[in-house]
Amino acid sequence: MQSPAGTEAGTEAGTDGRTGNRTTDRHTNGNEDSAHVATTQTPPTASGSAHRAAGSARAGTGTRFTRVLGVLTIAALAVLALFALVLSPPDVVQGESVRILYAHVGTVWVAYLAFIVTAVSSGAYLWKRTSSLTWDRIAGASAEIGVLFMAITLFTGSLWGRITWGTFWVWDARVTTTAFLFVTYVGYLAVRGLGGTHEQRARRSAVVALLAVLEIPLVHFSVRLWRSVHQDASVAGSTDVKLDDEMLFTLLLGTVAFTMMYVWYVLHRQRVLAMEDALDDKGLDLALAERRNEGLEARDMTEGTTR
Amino acid sequence: MDHAGFIFASYIAAFGGSAGLAWYAIRRGRALGRQLPDEDKPWI
Repeated sequence: MQSPAGTEAGTEAGTDGRTGNRTTDRHTNGNEDSAHVATTQTPPTASGSAHRAAGSARAGTGTRFTRVLGVLTIAALAVLALFALVLSPPDVVQGESVRILYAHVGTVWVAYLAFIVTAVSSGAYLWKRTSSLTWDRIAGASAEIGVLFMAITLFTGSLWGRITWGTFWVWDARVTTTAFLFVTYVGYLAVRGLGGTHEQRARRSAVVALLAVLEIPLVHFSVRLWRSVHQDASVAGSTDVKLDDEMLFTLLLGTVAFTMMYVWYVLHRQRVLAMEDALDDKGLDLALAERRNEGLEARDMTEGTTR
Repeated sequence: MDHAGFIFASYIAAFGGSAGLAWYAIRRGRALGRQLPDEDKPWI
C-alpha cells in the first residue's frame, strides 16, 4: 500500500469521480484500455510531445480525500498486521494457521464486493438514463482489484489448506468454483482489452460482467449445495458467533482495511482510465489534423508544379 | 510460531499485492497526467 500523499501539489477535494466523457466513434488502442497490463509506458499517441507541454504540476489522480484515505488505509493495514500476527490468540482447533484467515477473509470479501460493483456499474452503463463511460471505467477498475484479491484469496487459501488439509489444492466445490470465478474475471479483463471504440468496449464488457456476477451466489452457496471440505461462514449470517473477541475484531478489521484499499484504488484507477481515453481521443484528433495538413501541402505542391 | 513461513507468505502476498497495485496506479496516473491539460482532469 502506498500513499498518494505528496504526489501532487495543491489539489483540492473533488471526489465525485466525474471524468472527461469524451466519446468518439473512432477506433482506439484497445490494449491501452486494458490497464491491467503492468506497464508505466504512456500511450503511443501522435500527440505525446504536444500533450506533455499541456500538462501541469497537478499531474496525478490524487485529491485531498484520496490522500487522507491512503494514509488511513496504511494505518489500518498496519494495525491489522499487528493483531493478526501478534496480538490475536491461536485457535484451539486450527492453531496458528488461523492467522492466515484474517487476510484470506478480507481479500475474498473485497473480491466479491469488487465483482458486484463491476456488475452494478455495468448495469448503470447499459441503462440509458444513467449511461456514461464513467460507469464503464469504474467497472473496469473494480474488476482489476477484484481479480488481484481473488488471486490472493486462492493463494492464501492454498497455504491454509496445506496446513489444515495436508494439500495445497483439492477439487472441492468451493475451491473449484472460486477458481472458476477468478478465470471468468480474467476473461472479463481480456474482453475489455479488445479493440474498438470506447462505447464498444463498454457495451460488450458490461454484458460479460452481468453474466459473470451470476457465479457469485454459486460460489457462496457451493458449501451447502455440494458436500464440501471448506467450512461455511463463521460470522456472516450467524446470530451466534462463537469467536474470541480479539479474533472477531481482527477479522472485521481485515475486511474494513481491505475495503478502504479497494475504494482508494478504484478512485485512482478510474481516473487513470479516463485519462487514457482522453489521450486516445486527443491523439486521434491530432493525427487526423496532421494527415489533413499533409494532404493540403501535397495538393499545394502539385498545383504549384502544374502552373 | 508454527507454520510461520506459510503465515508470512500469506501477508506478503496480500500486502505486497496491494502495494504493487497502488504503486502502479500512482505511477500510471502521474505519467498520463503530465500529458493532459487540467481541464481533462475534473477531479482537480
